[in-house]
Amino acid sequence: MKIDTYITWLRNAMLVIGLMMCSFSSFGQDVTVSAQMDSTVIFIGGQIDLKLQLSQPQDLELSFPLLTDTITRNIEIVRFNELDTLSRDNGRFLIEQNFRITSFDSGLHYIPPIVFEEASQKLGAILQTEPMALMVVNPFEEVDPQKGIVDIKKPQETPFHLSELYKYLPWVLGLLALAGIVTFVALKYFGKDVPVKIFKKEEPIIPPHEKALEALGKIKEEKLWQHNRVKEYYSGVTDTLRHYIEERFEIRAMEQTTDEIMDSFKGVDVSGVKSIDNLKQILMTADLVKFAKHEPLPDENDLSMINAYFFVNQTKEEEIKSLEEEKAEMLKKEENEAVTE
Amino acid sequence: MEQSVDIKAINERIKEESSFVDLLTMEMNKVIVGQKHLVEGLLIGLLSDGHILLEGVPGLAKTLAINTLATIVDAKFSRIQFTPDLLPADLLGTMIYSQKKEEFIVKQGPIFTNFVLADEINRAPAKVQSALLEAMQERQVTIGETTYPLEEPFLVMATQNPIEQEGTYPLPEAQVDRFMLKLVLDYPKKDEEQMIIRHNLAKTFPKASTILKPEDIIRARQVVKDVYMDEKIEKYIVDITFATRYPEQYGLEKFKDMISYGASPRASISLSMASKAFAFIKRRGYVIPEDVRAICHDVLRHRIGLSYEAEANNVTSEEIISEILNQVEVP
Repeated sequence: MKIDTYITWLRNAMLVIGLMMCSFSSFGQDVTVSAQMDSTVIFIGGQIDLKLQLSQPQDLELSFPLLTDTITRNIEIVRFNELDTLSRDNGRFLIEQNFRITSFDSGLHYIPPIVFEEASQKLGAILQTEPMALMVVNPFEEVDPQKGIVDIKKPQETPFHLSELYKYLPWVLGLLALAGIVTFVALKYFGKDVPVKIFKKEEPIIPPHEKALEALGKIKEEKLWQHNRVKEYYSGVTDTLRHYIEERFEIRAMEQTTDEIMDSFKGVDVSGVKSIDNLKQILMTADLVKFAKHEPLPDENDLSMINAYFFVNQTKEEEIKSLEEEKAEMLKKEENEAVTE
Repeated sequence: MEQSVDIKAINERIKEESSFVDLLTMEMNKVIVGQKHLVEGLLIGLLSDGHILLEGVPGLAKTLAINTLATIVDAKFSRIQFTPDLLPADLLGTMIYSQKKEEFIVKQGPIFTNFVLADEINRAPAKVQSALLEAMQERQVTIGETTYPLEEPFLVMATQNPIEQEGTYPLPEAQVDRFMLKLVLDYPKKDEEQMIIRHNLAKTFPKASTILKPEDIIRARQVVKDVYMDEKIEKYIVDITFATRYPEQYGLEKFKDMISYGASPRASISLSMASKAFAFIKRRGYVIPEDVRAICHDVLRHRIGLSYEAEANNVTSEEIISEILNQVEVP
């Protein structure tokens, strides 16, 4: 009897234990955790996402592990998101949390299983993720201290791109608009008084010899030396010649003395030595008149004027006539010949 | 017509009076090889009663030149080496007690001569420089209670070394202005240096003969003053001086900030006097623009103050003067 009773008690006990065992295993299958990484290989300092997931029935309240700074000694957390709870159709919740992680140590790093400790205590079973591994690659050359210290490399320049100018575009457009408004206002209110001459007729260039001959003619007409204004007469003649020399030969004659002017002519190809002698006679006589109160004879005054004319005519630059002018001249010549015939 | 006759007379007189110039130059050239500019400068200073500041490295015959000039003119010559411990009394003279006479007697200094060579003037302190420059200006020296006039002709030639500037006392602008000319000496040419070697290795060193007396120089100075200078030349000189003060008015805006101060009226006077002396040397009775231009650098180079901007841009007073001469219209 005692044995039967014992066997019955043992059977019942085993049944209870068996039932309890069954209930626990089924509970363990209902709650699952996982961890997933975007990639298992990163460059040193590179960043990837680590996703922690917890799948549970809706009536349970389980908490996530508190990870803030690091996952392991070598793997750091850059930032992490709030818990995200997704409701499933089968009456379950899928709770997720994303961690942006990085590592500054090269090599293969082992990530041990992440334990959901509070949940494990609540459920009475260990709830943890699978272990993982992260390979951190160093793309740079290893620093060899044996090679010695080298200079810091300069920052690399990126190639210029037009898009860099986009930021100035509003300013440029603004300035153009402002310039347009100012021009509009100026033309509207003051424009009438300012005639715009875009196609202005060019003034004809008078050759230096023509200017000089005209000026000499004027001096001659004024009869300066005849009125005892010898100094003025010679100043006028020499100034005219100096201006002519300046324009014709590009010699700074206005700022040069007689000797310097004569020296400057040494390097210039002038037709005829006589014209240079004429110039020398005028300048030297003028110097005597201007600075030594010399009073030349009337013949000398006339000679100076004749020499001035001679110098200008002998050294003048020949005009280059246009084709039209030459044609007109030839036609005129032919007409004249026809008339005489 | 009368004026014309005057010029002719002056011309004739100058041709007569300036005949010694050729002789003097010839005698100088016997001893001094090359350095034509120095000899000409000395003559201009002598004839226009002006003093000369010489800048050049040692060994360029500065002392020899003034010594030779003194020999040619039959004048007294003193050479004073300026040093940091020199005192005004060493230069001017002082009163010393005579035990024999039992009274203070005047001991005149080396300045009481015709030609003074103040060697390395910038090595002596300001009080000595000031004593010399005062004597140069006033032509007299006061020792104790008595004022002694200096002998005529009185010409001071001071030298400055352009290189060693350490431990020197640069002459103040006001005192530099008292020198009529500042001559910058350069090394002799190759053939000239060869000749210098021959002169020095010969058994007897060439010697200049005395051909003039101090009175001749004083008389020549009066003739130089008579050299005719036309109003146009005066205007030209004024234009040049004004261009150093207001360069922007003469189309030289670039020098406006480079010149801290321009030439003084004393510069205009010196330019006129030196031009006349130059015309005299060229045996002419009137001044022409060439004369002004020939001595312009020597008269103005120490009278233009350069700003820091000019120094930073390596612009020299020489360049400024050349530009001014190229810009100011010649009458």
